[in-house]
Amino acid sequence: MKILIADDSRVMRQIVIRTLRQAGFDDHDIVEAEDGADAYAKVGSEKPDLVLSDWNMPNMTGIECLQALRSAGSTVPFGFVTSEGSPEMREKAANAGALFLIAKPFNEDTFQEALSGVIA
Amino acid sequence: MRALVIDDSRAMRRIVSGILEGLGYETQQAGHGREGLDALEGLAADQLPDLVCVDWNMPVMDGLQFVSAVRSNPGWRSMTIMMVTSESEHTQIVRALAAGAHEYVIKPFTADAIRDKLALLGLLPQEAVL
Amino acid sequence: MTLTDSGERRRGSDARPVISDLIDEATVESIAQEAWISLVGEEEILVPLPGGPVTDPVSSWVDVVGPWTGSVVLTTGRRTAEELTRALLREHSPEVLEDEDVVDAFGEIANVVGGNVKAALPGSSGLSLPDVGEAPALRNPADLCRIELQWRGEPLSISVQGALPALPAVP
Repeated sequence: MKILIADDSRVMRQIVIRTLRQAGFDDHDIVEAEDGADAYAKVGSEKPDLVLSDWNMPNMTGIECLQALRSAGSTVPFGFVTSEGSPEMREKAANAGALFLIAKPFNEDTFQEALSGVIA
Repeated sequence: MRALVIDDSRAMRRIVSGILEGLGYETQQAGHGREGLDALEGLAADQLPDLVCVDWNMPVMDGLQFVSAVRSNPGWRSMTIMMVTSESEHTQIVRALAAGAHEYVIKPFTADAIRDKLALLGLLPQEAVL
Repeated sequence: MTLTDSGERRRGSDARPVISDLIDEATVESIAQEAWISLVGEEEILVPLPGGPVTDPVSSWVDVVGPWTGSVVLTTGRRTAEELTRALLREHSPEVLEDEDVVDAFGEIANVVGGNVKAALPGSSGLSLPDVGEAPALRNPADLCRIELQWRGEPLSISVQGALPALPAVP
């Protein structure tokens, strides 16, 4: 399985990768994207099985990326990993077609809970 | 009371000026920050506007540069600066506030929103207080 | 006509809250503690005691724009910011840290702390991308919630500070 991780912070991408590993999801291919536009392009070129995306990013935000993907017909499973987990953001994410929203700070349990139904 | 309205959109300048005139302000308009500074240059202290409403995103000189320029002139400290910003760039507004602006409004706004902000700032002309 | 105050105006002035009306030091501290455990490491404790003056300070912050508008600012010494960066990067920590790494890691901590402060505030607000450098100036000393902490014995402060100057006194 291939997982695309989109975050403008390289440190945060590494922390997400580390937490995936700690949560037991360690034998997957990881692709990184540094903003929403990069993620959008890489969904096309890399064909990931899952996208884990930050919300607030330059160029294209995570929600804009998801909306662009859905309007282009992509059904790639998409979840947010973001520092803002307010009820209205969760609602916005769900309405746009996101499977889950993991709020930072998170730990391996949060990841397990959100991803166990998504990652085989 | 006097206000200077700086926006590159003529429609926006008219809307803001119309609201302020409705509250009893005399208004003057400028199309970007540089024009705004030109309008202020050479004014005696008692001729300066009480309020400057300035857009964020403009050609030639944007709102942030305008605020910094105004704050660097000690003779212009008496003016209150209100930033006008759009929803898409509103999270950048703190940079303009940190540079010395006093208040902000997010487009689209109502006349009441402007009135409430001016009331807070003590900048409602007397006829509009009631 | 005489000037009368309908009371509406007075309620209007309540529409600009200061931060102490909205969040307290204990909440900011618990947000920071959680961020530290998650980002910096399980055993990383922030000690809630002032650590004295900061040498060669560097700040990271995010701006919150909404019913309350201001910045969530973390300030510590440059050396401590570098150590934090190494703690976040763990095995990916390079031999020589570049400025870019510190901007990224220290900014990301501000993003997580600021995002959670934002979530604790009433109403809906926007959050800026993080910035790293010299802290934004304090506009209104009455609109400030500040905690002083120590991490690995070094001072670190978190200021939740308003971006608007104090309102003029009512005549």
